[in-house]
Amino acid sequence: MMITKKYLPRRTVLRGLGASLALPLLDGMVPAFAATRNTAANPVRRFGAIYVPNGVEMRAWTPAGAGTALELSPVLQPLAPVAGQVNVLTGLADNVAIPREGEGVGDHARAASTWLTGVHVKKTEGADIRAGTSLDQIVAQEFGKETQLASLELAIDSVEVLGACDQGYSCAYVNTIAWRTPTTPLPMENNPRAVFERLFGAADSTDVQTRLARIRQDRSILDFVTDEANGLNRALGAGDQLKLAQYLDAVRDVERRIQKAEEQSDRDIPVVEQPVGIPGTFEEHCRLMFDLLTLAYQTDLTRVSTFMFGKEVSGRSFPEIGVPGGHHGYSHHQNDPENLAMLAKVNTHHISQFAYFLEKLDSIPDGDGSLLDHSLFLYGSGISDGNLHFHLDLPTVLAGGGGGHVKGGRHLRYASETPLANLHMSVLDKLGLPEETFGDSTGTLRYLSDV
Amino acid sequence: MTTSERPERKREVIAKAKPAVVLVCVVATLAVTVGTVLDAQRTQDGPASAAAFSTPQTTGAAPTLSPREVLDRYCVTCHNERLRTGGLALDTVDPERVGEDAEVWEKVVRKLRTGLMPPSPRRRPDAATYASTVSYFETALDRVAAANPNPGRPAVHRLNRAEYTNAIHDLLALEVDGRALLPADGASYGFDNIGDVLSVSPGLLERYLLAAAKISRRAVGDPTLRPTTAIYKTSPLLAQDDRISEDLPFGSRGGLAVRHHFPLDAEYIIKIALRGRARRAHQLEVRLDRERVRLFELSEREPLELRVPVKAGTRLVGVSFVEALEQSLPVDGRPPPPPISSFAFTLYPNAPAVGSLEIVGPYDGQVPEDTPSRRAIFVCHPATTEDEASCAREIVASLARRAYRRPVSDADTLPLLASYEHGRREGGGFEDGIRWVVEALLVSPKFLFRIERDPVNAPPGTPYRISDLELASRLSFFLWSSIPDDELIDLAAREALSEPAVLEAQVRRMLDDPRSHALVENFTGQWLYLRNMRIVTPDATQFPDFDDNLREAFRRETELFVESQLREDRSVRDLLGADYTFLNERLARHYSIPNVYGSHFRRVTYADDRRAGLLGHGSILTVTSPPHRTSPTVRGKWLLENLLGAPPPPPPADVPGLPEHEGGEKPATMRERLALHRVNPVCASCHAKIDPLGFALENFDAVGRWRATDGAEDIPVDASGALPDGAEFDGPASFRDALLREPWGTEFVTTITEKLLTYALGRGLEYYDAPVARQIVREAAPDNYPWSSLILGIVKSTPFQMRTSSDSGDTRAP
Repeated sequence: MMITKKYLPRRTVLRGLGASLALPLLDGMVPAFAATRNTAANPVRRFGAIYVPNGVEMRAWTPAGAGTALELSPVLQPLAPVAGQVNVLTGLADNVAIPREGEGVGDHARAASTWLTGVHVKKTEGADIRAGTSLDQIVAQEFGKETQLASLELAIDSVEVLGACDQGYSCAYVNTIAWRTPTTPLPMENNPRAVFERLFGAADSTDVQTRLARIRQDRSILDFVTDEANGLNRALGAGDQLKLAQYLDAVRDVERRIQKAEEQSDRDIPVVEQPVGIPGTFEEHCRLMFDLLTLAYQTDLTRVSTFMFGKEVSGRSFPEIGVPGGHHGYSHHQNDPENLAMLAKVNTHHISQFAYFLEKLDSIPDGDGSLLDHSLFLYGSGISDGNLHFHLDLPTVLAGGGGGHVKGGRHLRYASETPLANLHMSVLDKLGLPEETFGDSTGTLRYLSDV
Repeated sequence: MTTSERPERKREVIAKAKPAVVLVCVVATLAVTVGTVLDAQRTQDGPASAAAFSTPQTTGAAPTLSPREVLDRYCVTCHNERLRTGGLALDTVDPERVGEDAEVWEKVVRKLRTGLMPPSPRRRPDAATYASTVSYFETALDRVAAANPNPGRPAVHRLNRAEYTNAIHDLLALEVDGRALLPADGASYGFDNIGDVLSVSPGLLERYLLAAAKISRRAVGDPTLRPTTAIYKTSPLLAQDDRISEDLPFGSRGGLAVRHHFPLDAEYIIKIALRGRARRAHQLEVRLDRERVRLFELSEREPLELRVPVKAGTRLVGVSFVEALEQSLPVDGRPPPPPISSFAFTLYPNAPAVGSLEIVGPYDGQVPEDTPSRRAIFVCHPATTEDEASCAREIVASLARRAYRRPVSDADTLPLLASYEHGRREGGGFEDGIRWVVEALLVSPKFLFRIERDPVNAPPGTPYRISDLELASRLSFFLWSSIPDDELIDLAAREALSEPAVLEAQVRRMLDDPRSHALVENFTGQWLYLRNMRIVTPDATQFPDFDDNLREAFRRETELFVESQLREDRSVRDLLGADYTFLNERLARHYSIPNVYGSHFRRVTYADDRRAGLLGHGSILTVTSPPHRTSPTVRGKWLLENLLGAPPPPPPADVPGLPEHEGGEKPATMRERLALHRVNPVCASCHAKIDPLGFALENFDAVGRWRATDGAEDIPVDASGALPDGAEFDGPASFRDALLREPWGTEFVTTITEKLLTYALGRGLEYYDAPVARQIVREAAPDNYPWSSLILGIVKSTPFQMRTSSDSGDTRAP
């Protein structure tokens, strides 16, 4: 369970107590993993997308003015320490989330499922779900070739809440923002311990021989299941074969990971004790997940992630910051000052956690700069004003330098109804993965690289 | 895939676009008529004799109109090809040939059964005609279904987390914490066992691989295991002022009891951390399987740590204070529990509480000779090296048969034996090989997936009877959420299981088996939203005494209640009407019920009818409330969806929720606030149906306490209202009575049947399942709907016993 490295003097504990205990570990005890690898000759870029549900209080969100002098709004105030690394984008629209003739309600499901896919999703509760391959997964197809994990999908909410999916839409549309293919949503993990095990395995030894033995066993077992699945597949109807195909696809993915792990078996493994379960408060939970995510980027186990602060329609209450009622309830604010104030508190609380993450990334050296310098993080929602489920003028933040391709510290205004997918096109551009088109894009965004 | 519900929704959406004053008025004028009509139909003729209504003329009374004439006169004004109100055209379909448009007619029947159409102020037929029309369609549809059964085709089904956990228990005699091993599964149609959405991702496969590695080491035992730490924490919201668990001794205070798996016969370190300070001498004891292993005097300031030898296996570790906090006070004189503040957990100024329990080990461990898991795995023990191969074959055959839920062949066992050989070579011993077998077995698709195969020569898209072995799995996953036991597999292997008498005997045996608790946990846990109890967060400032003790008591009450209903095979209608419940002191105090002392739950008969049945349970009243107040709308919607099978259409796009208060003047009561729903006709069209149901429960606050007044002004709660058909009530008792009268009584039974059927089949219901549900309900009626009758009805039904072959007909891939 503990992964120990002999020459380090103490074992630092990363457990469900949040940031205070986790920080020293991450700052001090992870050896130079990716740090020296990120060179001009071999640049490493990273990407992440962070989703907030139910829209935001736009009056408290939108910065005054525009252009180079970013004046942080009340909600965005926690970003002050990293303001130079942050652009706030106003005017972008998730046009494909707008219902088509006869579709009616379902704005929440459409908001989450279109945000990274740019594709109008099929309204269904059955197996015939269809969205689009999401931005993070397009990046992961390329960046994932270098890392053990192509991508990490993290969330705070459990998918177990009953009666909480948007009516007429499969729960898959609200449970995740990451789609590996148009028909394969990627489940998100909210248990820190499970995330830890995915990153570092359950092996209890850092001894190379032991790890290699485990790899041999894993490979033998994967060979076994591949044969089993192929044998079954031959005897099945077409529809049933799809399920097995999905399974085999997953097997190949894990095989690839094992291959990578074997190649990289000489690498150091950080000293971490497994986190225990889900922390008690929202803030502790978020920070622990961001700690793990930072660790994953820092150790170069992955270069791509998605993160959801909550599922759409989330009715989470935040008594610890004086928000007693449910988030979704407040988002239908009716312009009532009290509701708006509560909503702004929730929005600010989310931004605080995001700022914690960015500051942490900014503090970690990577090549000629910091992790944040070589990354791009997209933060936002598929809804702006939750009162009317408005999909235009979305709240959007783009953080990180993208390896010197994006200049921060600005408030960029775009013409209303500019497709959010244009930002996705630009992101792909900045990450060195230009595409002809993405979702409902009409081009790339101007200004981002006006250095 | 289309569902029977979706077009209906679309229809509602379109209907809403019109000024929708209609339904508001329907309620008052029509419902009385309809209620009477349907009552009359059911009482005079009895549902079982529905066949007598094959034509409307046979009803005797007066109706002389044919179905076509009824439709033309009362329906097609709106529902015609040109207007297609609600997406429905009844002028172009032939009521004499219902089989051609069964999906349409099922929708018609659903609306007519509870008297929702035609809406006021449209004319409607007289009562007898109305009743005979409903009956005609139901009978005709049932006849078509009987002649052309369509059992549907459930998808390949991956074991969900609950099923996997139970299967590990039944296969390897090992208790594992599924919630720690695997992620939660996606859900659809209200349940997490729907084959369609139980998908596999790379992340999930990695979790399965990790789980298999851990489980195989624990089950077989692995001497190379290194010490690991497990930390169990208590919730800071758990008041430790009394005995906290049935697993801790009488007279103890606080602490925690956990079932911990000790992987080896070895030494383990147990550490305890406290919350709060000891101001006087306290005694803390540690027990292992209820035997005291250590008593700490807290005044001695020694570290709360001990090292003990423990035999391998899952053992109960209990930590608690020896003294009772309020020992000297008479029970009734106890102070109320301290208020919970969500910021500062300074709950116990005078007494410490247990914060966490840490178990580290094993140290100096040995693989145990005998554990339940080893007994389940090692059906033989090789005496010599020569015996190893044959013993391995024996073990592999026995494990694979149970894990794959069928007799196995060489094709199944040879790959596992290859794993055995490989493991034996790598690890150096017989047991290493067996550990590899267990690990491989647990990730085999033959274990993880429930696959039903079409018969080799089945023509495409044709119903066929599933094999006895497939039936055995359907049964065990329905009733136990687990794999079949040896008895079921043996019967199925002899093809004796599908014999009706054998099948019924097996179902009764399975219901009597404790494993059927899975129905309570997984079926009712989801049907009634009880699982949400884990995550609800009532506002701590308004409900300061909502601690985790109460949260746990809520869950326990409903589980014990439903379990008792099932075990006693009561009528499912008793879920609403039963005059008893299960309480401990904490919960009784919450409900203001006197004379219940102590932490253990016991059956209590109510002195009055306020709380009778499920609708008086704190669990249900809390999961249907937002954190800071009640919401009659949320409760009303829950009632319509989950008890009356009449989910309200979703709200139209762009209609905002209700203001908390508007224009400075705060409405005094919830009823006044919700009156706004009635002002706006767009809202009123649906909320006139939804909100009144919620009002019936307004005497219960957002955490289920009884209240006579609401709001700051102490205005008496007005819990009166009417069901969509006009049946009036005033308060929870008369509301329950109304729900148990027709037509709602049958609607309730039909709804629970449909939910059970969804859960049993692991797929969403289609229009062609409606006749099946009707038949089950009809056949259960003479005995007043006992649980066993509904369950047996499902097990004997076409969709449970049959499957439609693949459309492609290509059951063999090239």
